[in-house]
Amino acid sequence: MSEFILKTNHLTKKYNHDFALHDVNITLKKGEIYGVIGQNGAGKSTMLRMVTGLAFPSDGSIELFGKTGTSELTEAHKRIGAIVEDPALFPNMTASENLEAHRLQKGIPGKDCIKNTLELIGLSHTGNKKVKNFSLGMKQRLGLALCLLSNPEFLILDEPTNGLDPMGIIELRELLKRLNREKELTILISSHILSELHQLATTFGIIHKGKLLEELTANELDQKCRQHLRIKVDNPNLGATVLEDNLSTTDFEVLSDGTIKLYRYLDNVRKVSMALTNHGLVIEHLSENGDSLENYFSKLVGSVDHE
Amino acid sequence: MNNLIKAELFKLKRNKSFWVIIGASTGLSALLHYLVIIGWWQMHGTVFDTAGLSELNALSTFTVPLFFNLIVSTLAGFFISIEFSQSGVIKNQVMSGNKRLHIFIAKYLVFSFGSIIVTILIPLVTALVMVILLGHGDVLNLTNMSYVGRAYSLFTLQFLGYTAIIMLLAIITDDSGKTIILSILFTILMFAIEKLPKPTFIELLYENSIFNQFSTVFKLTMSTGEITMSILIAFLSLIIVSVCGIVVFKKKEIK
Repeated sequence: MSEFILKTNHLTKKYNHDFALHDVNITLKKGEIYGVIGQNGAGKSTMLRMVTGLAFPSDGSIELFGKTGTSELTEAHKRIGAIVEDPALFPNMTASENLEAHRLQKGIPGKDCIKNTLELIGLSHTGNKKVKNFSLGMKQRLGLALCLLSNPEFLILDEPTNGLDPMGIIELRELLKRLNREKELTILISSHILSELHQLATTFGIIHKGKLLEELTANELDQKCRQHLRIKVDNPNLGATVLEDNLSTTDFEVLSDGTIKLYRYLDNVRKVSMALTNHGLVIEHLSENGDSLENYFSKLVGSVDHE
Repeated sequence: MNNLIKAELFKLKRNKSFWVIIGASTGLSALLHYLVIIGWWQMHGTVFDTAGLSELNALSTFTVPLFFNLIVSTLAGFFISIEFSQSGVIKNQVMSGNKRLHIFIAKYLVFSFGSIIVTILIPLVTALVMVILLGHGDVLNLTNMSYVGRAYSLFTLQFLGYTAIIMLLAIITDDSGKTIILSILFTILMFAIEKLPKPTFIELLYENSIFNQFSTVFKLTMSTGEITMSILIAFLSLIIVSVCGIVVFKKKEIK
């Protein structure tokens, strides 16, 4: 079996002369939670629609569970659960009836799964209430229930927290984390709410104007966003030794251009500066750096917009 | 495929519009038959008159495309198109790993089944019941029943071609309102082609179409050649329109 659950190769979607998605390459490994970040209209849903078979690529290809080609991909879609854009529900049916229609079309044996899924998702109390009378949050939950009904190996969720109240968001996050942990469920989740994804995803793909700007792990993102002192001295090797010996810290890194990123002493810059100058080092640059996730995203997107 | 048919049947059973149409079709059919049988409403020159079955005259209303189109297109709008637009539930079927060909066939079969119930079965059964209840059961003899059986069997075959056309329109338009309006316009166009002078080529096409067959199949007597031709027209129309529908659906991007 392929080690990748999903791989897109130069995935492109063009409407007339406009690119909705351009040359996107992403990879998802088993058990990963991949967060697709992007503004509204960035191309997140377009990508998910192509991955789920709702739309067709203008160029490039999709590999799902190691399968490519139309009929093989269709077969592979049986192993996924997905909500793309709004949850697709029958408004005149109850929650159970919606699940029953889905169970029948997927050929899932036995009706027990309906009761169990409704309990898992916290909708077992809805009884004969029609979906048209559900709140947006309840509809989102029911959409998730449809996804989970067939015990998928790969979950694709497009803005799943839309309409959920704060408690609902926390519950959903915990549920997804639990499913990921216990069932090794791979999740591809899109959102324009960065803080929400930051607490869930293990890998991030930042999409802007149809292009994948950056793909990075949660650790890499944390490193980029972590507050630090940015130091440039005339002798970086000696600078590193001073930090280790005199300030007793190894929580720093020396970049290829000689810049030192120090993650300690943010509240005592003077002590760092004195330690370095006392050893005859010339400080060319010393500043406090680090971004919030939102700032990092804004800077990244902004730099592209200015190009 | 079986799963998809089961799911479509489940959805049809829970489709409010379907039950409203069933109620309307039953009520209207019962009323029309009653009025015709008691002589309050005089209908003359119908195909059933010619066959000596004037008690069934009201049935002729349900065999006119301009009339039954209203029933079929409403069902198409609220059973098929709505899944593409308002609820978007077609997404679930496509994302579930079902082949689009199978989705199309399952939808077509169940939609045609529902259409046959409301357009053919209900009026026919209501007619037979009313005839018996109002004391005209004697007309239901073997000869007359053979005629009705042959005519309605062939009519149903043509009707399957018609439901395929309406299904194609429903998939193209994605919208229940547009489906109803376009199918009405299409049926009016066919009616106009029937009535107005037309070039030979169009006339030849029309004469060998299901629209011409809708009336031809009710002729009192049909030769074996005519019956074979009727069956051929029905099957060819069904195959051609269905292939178009499948191609359109396979290429369709689901919003």
